[in-house]
Amino acid sequence: MFIINCPYCGEREQSEFKAGGEAHIVRPKQPTELSDDEWAEYLFMRKNIKGIQFERWVHTHGCRKWFNMIRDTSNDEIKAVYKMGDKPPIK
Amino acid sequence: MLNYINAITEEKSYSGLQMKEIKPVMKLIVRGKKREFLSAIGKSLNLLLPTEANTSTRSEKLTALWLSPDEWIIYSNKISDTDNNNYEIENLLTKNITKTNLGAITDVTDQFVLINLKGDKIFDLFQTGSPFNFNNFRNKKGSVIQTILAKIDVIIHNENQNEINLFVRRSFSHHLFSWMNDSASRL
Amino acid sequence: MTKNLRVKTSKFIDETYRISFKFNGKTYYGFKGDTLASALLANDIHLVGRSFKYHRPRGIMTAGSEEPNAIVQLHHNTSRTEPNVRATEIEIYEGLEASSQNCWPSVNFDIGGINNFLSPVLPAGFYYKTFMWPASFWKKYEYFIRKSAGLGKSPTKPDPDVYEHKYIHCDVLIIGAGISGIIAAKTAAKNGFKTLLVEEKPYLGGSTIYQNSEHFKINNQISSSWLEKEINEIKKIKNLEIKIRTSVAAFYGYNYLLARENLTDHFPLEQRNNKTRHRLLKIRAKKVITATGSLERPLIFDNNDRPGILLSSAIEKYANFFGTACGEKNALFTNNDSAYETAISLYQKGINIEAVVDNREEIDSKLIKETEKNNIKVYKGYTVINTSGYKRINNITIMKLSKDGQKVIGPKISIKCDCLGISGGWTPAVHLFTQSGGKLKFREDDQVFIPNKYPLNQISIGSCNGDFTLDEILLNIIKTLKEFLNIKKIEYENLEVRSSFNKSKKNIWLLPSDKMIGKTKPFVDYQNDATAKDIKLALREGFRSIEHVKRYTTTGMGTDQGKLGNMHALGIISETSGSKMEELGTTTFRPPYTPLTFGTIVGRNVGEYFDIFRKTPIHEWHIENKAEFENVGQWKRAWYYPKEGESMHDAVQRESKAARDSAGILDASTLGKIDIQGTDSSEFLNRIYTNAWSKLAVGKCRYGLMLNEDGMVYDDGVTTRLDENHYIMTTTTGGAATVLGKLEDYLQTEWPELDVYLTSVTDHYATVSVCGPNSKKIISKVIPDLDFSDKNFPHMSFKNTKIGKIKCRIMRISFTGEHSYEINVQANYGKSVWEKCMKAGKEFNITPYGTETMHLLRAEKGFIIVGQDTDATMTPIDLQMNWIVSKKKYDFIGKRSLYRSDTIREDRKQLVGLLTENPDEVLEEGAQIVADINKSPVEMLGHVTSSYYSPNLKKSIALAVVRGGKNMMGHKLIIPMEKKQINVTVADPVFLDKENKRLNA
Repeated sequence: MFIINCPYCGEREQSEFKAGGEAHIVRPKQPTELSDDEWAEYLFMRKNIKGIQFERWVHTHGCRKWFNMIRDTSNDEIKAVYKMGDKPPIK
Repeated sequence: MLNYINAITEEKSYSGLQMKEIKPVMKLIVRGKKREFLSAIGKSLNLLLPTEANTSTRSEKLTALWLSPDEWIIYSNKISDTDNNNYEIENLLTKNITKTNLGAITDVTDQFVLINLKGDKIFDLFQTGSPFNFNNFRNKKGSVIQTILAKIDVIIHNENQNEINLFVRRSFSHHLFSWMNDSASRL
Repeated sequence: MTKNLRVKTSKFIDETYRISFKFNGKTYYGFKGDTLASALLANDIHLVGRSFKYHRPRGIMTAGSEEPNAIVQLHHNTSRTEPNVRATEIEIYEGLEASSQNCWPSVNFDIGGINNFLSPVLPAGFYYKTFMWPASFWKKYEYFIRKSAGLGKSPTKPDPDVYEHKYIHCDVLIIGAGISGIIAAKTAAKNGFKTLLVEEKPYLGGSTIYQNSEHFKINNQISSSWLEKEINEIKKIKNLEIKIRTSVAAFYGYNYLLARENLTDHFPLEQRNNKTRHRLLKIRAKKVITATGSLERPLIFDNNDRPGILLSSAIEKYANFFGTACGEKNALFTNNDSAYETAISLYQKGINIEAVVDNREEIDSKLIKETEKNNIKVYKGYTVINTSGYKRINNITIMKLSKDGQKVIGPKISIKCDCLGISGGWTPAVHLFTQSGGKLKFREDDQVFIPNKYPLNQISIGSCNGDFTLDEILLNIIKTLKEFLNIKKIEYENLEVRSSFNKSKKNIWLLPSDKMIGKTKPFVDYQNDATAKDIKLALREGFRSIEHVKRYTTTGMGTDQGKLGNMHALGIISETSGSKMEELGTTTFRPPYTPLTFGTIVGRNVGEYFDIFRKTPIHEWHIENKAEFENVGQWKRAWYYPKEGESMHDAVQRESKAARDSAGILDASTLGKIDIQGTDSSEFLNRIYTNAWSKLAVGKCRYGLMLNEDGMVYDDGVTTRLDENHYIMTTTTGGAATVLGKLEDYLQTEWPELDVYLTSVTDHYATVSVCGPNSKKIISKVIPDLDFSDKNFPHMSFKNTKIGKIKCRIMRISFTGEHSYEINVQANYGKSVWEKCMKAGKEFNITPYGTETMHLLRAEKGFIIVGQDTDATMTPIDLQMNWIVSKKKYDFIGKRSLYRSDTIREDRKQLVGLLTENPDEVLEEGAQIVADINKSPVEMLGHVTSSYYSPNLKKSIALAVVRGGKNMMGHKLIIPMEKKQINVTVADPVFLDKENKRLNA
């Protein structure tokens, strides 16, 4: 059970949030131009790494805003949270 | 004529805790992002929307609670009639905000049930079902948070010392009120 | 005859308050302050249970939560019965009834005891090895194995107690109120931290509080007196909350902990009503200080499990704290100085000690000197090789240890005793530390695992950190607390500490014997009857990992989770296999630290609070009119309205017919409603629905289908254009929250440039749906001012209007295929509108119908229900709904996926109608569909998704998904059922009014 620092509401319990998978996967602007393989890459392929992972989270039971999180999946340490559209504060 | 039947008809009292629904109370969700939106609301209502997270503002007639960077709930400080659901403020804002494409105004008067809690045991009750840390909140008059109570989404407004206004969606309100009574009976 | 072994009074026991209780049906007496164990010991009762596998007699072994043997059943055959309660923890109360477990007919004569003599044929893995062949016999074996397995009996009656959860947020949490915990709590609280101190026992002060020796002094006071003053002080500190009888069960990341606060288990039963029994505390602490102390280790030698053999520290506690001796002839066996503290305590209380056996040869300390001065015989360099006495120890045999500790030499010496205290040194209680993610290191000097790497914002202090002597503890605490709490000064800096403890220890995991290992029973795990022999066998058979050995031998898998024996198991593996302890590591410590009742875990989430229920504003009317309810998502929806004597089938047939013949009324308030505003609303709808929205005129409604990006149908509903930039979308009842969430996701993350705002208004409106050929007449009576002509108010349009002064919105939309209207009104007027419609419809026999009839009516029309006829593998093409997929739109969610190689396959499962050969035969939903029953294996083509008897068509109808079904119109298929086969024909899914004439009827 993490404590997550919502970029809008501040520190809250994890139970107020939902995870939304890997971050920074942009929906292709022209899906119809893509081959089956390219589309499948966007649709299905995710990294799920051990270590530093970029994730999407939403404050479901709070402000309902989506944001990004950098989390070390090996020890659950949250390195940073940042708003949608912002650049990751660390690489 | 239509009969008005609100959600929670009982008032409940325990040592250190009283609970009742306050109705009818006009409630609006107002949403917008632009600077002009904030100033248009301010001018229309003579009330500045709170822009700091987890806070509220209040005028003689209205209270505005921060819900997110582009969302607020405005509720009237006084109760209205049961035989009329035409709200002047909604009409005014629809004209000044919606029609000018500055943002959105939505009537949520019956979307939310407003439960008023009084007494020094309010936070003992909340602690039995909410993961939120009320340690600082309880002493900050005017604070607002959205969190979970008994697995149900709620908006909690620190109205005054030992007084809380709690907003819950109508369909959940019976369950929540029943749960609150169950828990309060053991405080 | 029982004896009274109560010795000098103890201030922790109230001898003026006598309590009677029953053990195995017999009445005994104890005093307020006693645990069941101490009260039994005072009555000279050691034998309390039988071991799990061999049914060996077992006695009380410890004085705490680590107890493996003395587990009892409370209040057998009552609703409050509880198995596996540790006699060493339960405080006695008037009327307590406890009984032994795992024995029949009684603990004194247990038939299962024969297993003890069969033990040579019951080695580790016996069950795995014996019952593997033939595989088909497992069912027969299982019956007998299950019968003989398990310890206590679970209750069969509902639990009368109330359990609660409570969230606590604090700055500093201290686990354990021994001397370290008390010092930490006072320091934290006095420095302004909001502090919580939890202690599993009913008193504060740990083992120091009953320490009466001159050898351990603080500021020239006996350590217990010094600590008592500290405790009195901390009780007055305002920002320090103290919870006793509170055991931390789990320690998760980010300092989130679960603890069980025990509130009524020490009350007589009749005083427990209407009180919370256990409270599960969900604690979030900014900083956590673990001060859980340490557990004394037993020693592993032949027959080390007899009743009357206890940990040496337990004997000391029973004497000093509970004021009772554990025997009249006591012996002690040790590898360190701790047992001498016990010896001195017993001597001071006038309790007889026959001998102290110490496996250390060259050893000297102040404690040993004092022991010898009191004429207690000390055998140095000796080990116990065996014990005797079936139901109570009566003798120990000792021999001299060889220099290397590997063998025994010299003559055997026999010592008579009725109680043996054993001490193998101390094991830091690091369970919670490792649960939280902490990493251990092994300290070779005294063979203990101690904390090495701490997760953020936590620290361990005292003996759970490996500091075992008073001076060490106090010295290190001061340094640690200053750093951890970031404080400059601490009041304990100049304490004068006297500690006479000599730290030397001779650690031998498995003590040598004069017999072959195969002939001995040196128990490592008492509760599960795992011996050193079993562990060695596991290693011989090739098991290497500690986790595997654990599961094969069941070491550490009892209710005590191996708190006593796990270290020895590791030690024996290390010695036998030659691998280092550090490399072996420990088994994983998992929550809970001590067992929790199910009641504690579920709290108030039982009965009506098991799950949330949502009610519509018209709910009370449904109740008043005897509706049966169905759970849809979290909603309670009216299912059908049976009249006197009607079955569900009867009611649904009547309701369905009435709706088509005249008029029906449905509470549709549960449908999700999302208010959509903003200048880009039309564009937004274009992107999220499969069909086009830009040209929808203000005042009109349109049905939409929403897909996932993978092309599968996600939700559907009617959306109405209220104004140029204002829509109201309806979603399925179950999908409301997830649809809103998904739409917000796209708006916020993919298309932040769109000017669109979404607001849920599901609960704001009550929705009353009136359908049937007479619906127009009824609604016109309710709202006489409105022009209901088809020209003014055609199908798929809406009107804003008023009933009295109350604004409402009327949609002319239909989910039944009938001419119908939906009145949306502010929720608090919903019941009144419903009643008005009922009154106006009376002359037309308006009939309330529930979800079952709604499902039947729409099935007649072939309308899908997302989630019933679809299951996240159905595209709109699979549903034969190509008409709703815009060809012109460049993009929408899911579009690209509709022509992936997989989604364009012709043989995907597709939605079709099914008609039975016998029109009265109704198919079962979920039934499998095949073409050729004789083919092996039988090829499953699909399954029935919706099935009803249609009173309007007077035949059975069904919807189904069938592989390649689109091209199978008119084909005969088979539905094989348990006792018969049903012949069906593939048909058009629209069974009724294909031309939609009824919509405008």
